[in-house]
Amino acid sequence: MRGAIPRINLEKCTGCGDCVEWCPTDAVALVNEKAVVVSPDDCYYCTDCEPVCPPGAIRCPFEIILAITQPRAPKEE
Amino acid sequence: MLSAADLLKTLPYFETLGTDAIEHITREVLEFSFARGEVLFLEGESCRGLYVIKSGQVRIFKTSPEGREQVLLVAKPGDSFNDVPVFDGGPNPASASALEESTIYLIPTEVALSLLTDCPIAVSILKLFAVRLRHLTMMVEDLSFRSVVGRMAKLLLDLAVVEDGPSPVRRLTQDEMAAMVGSVRDMIGRALKHIERAGAIKIEGQRIMVVAPEKLREMM
Ligand code: SF4
Ligand code: SF4
Repeated sequence: MRGAIPRINLEKCTGCGDCVEWCPTDAVALVNEKAVVVSPDDCYYCTDCEPVCPPGAIRCPFEIILAITQPRAPKEE
Repeated sequence: MLSAADLLKTLPYFETLGTDAIEHITREVLEFSFARGEVLFLEGESCRGLYVIKSGQVRIFKTSPEGREQVLLVAKPGDSFNDVPVFDGGPNPASASALEESTIYLIPTEVALSLLTDCPIAVSILKLFAVRLRHLTMMVEDLSFRSVVGRMAKLLLDLAVVEDGPSPVRRLTQDEMAAMVGSVRDMIGRALKHIERAGAIKIEGQRIMVVAPEKLREMM
């Protein structure tokens, strides 16, 4: 499974390039004046690009999952 | 524009001082200009003295181990800052940088302390108070961090569900978590790292795996 990448709302993106400057691995770049995760394999979901985006176009949500360490019968509804 | 003496007289610290003493400080005070973004001093450096803003604005901030900045105060004209180390002799408790072009007076530590030479007991008392204030500030930081950790632990416990189970997995950004526990994004990042180091969760990319719910319960 490929790692997660930030979700960028292209309608909100103004193409300012702040996320590009901030990304430590150059995973995100401007394509046609919009931010795109061009190298998803380089993105390690550090989420640094999320707070720097002035219009709040970038979201890095986390899934909150209860890990089941011992295999036990899953509860059915 | 106010003269240095006029400005100093308005400071709560100096309002009871006579003209002679104000003139003495005015002679010793140093004036500096800082461009927007320029750093006045850094946390941990030895303290040069008490700062007073003549014009502009200065951001006082602490830097977390992860390199993020937490703003403690935005000081405006007439505000003084960095008083604790002047009196306890310790390092600067926070860093300061100019938010806009700013002119700052620096009252060197010896000059500030020289106002108290006639009253050695005042020096001892102030030193003791400053040490206590520094200690309390650190305790408050620690307590507020712990309480964020506790509320985050509860949030994770409340929301965590098994994958492919009957309830859908919740997806939240750090800002959303911050809003839910009454904190700010930076603190959430630090709290999550702390909880992970304690072995209660494992962060794998976008997945926060609750691996030891009992440890989360202990943190609440
Ligand atoms: S999450 Fe981190 S690595 Fe991924 S695109 Fe954003 S800044 Fe770059
Ligand atoms: S920081 Fe936000 S607005 Fe600027 S280029 Fe990146 S996604 Fe677009």
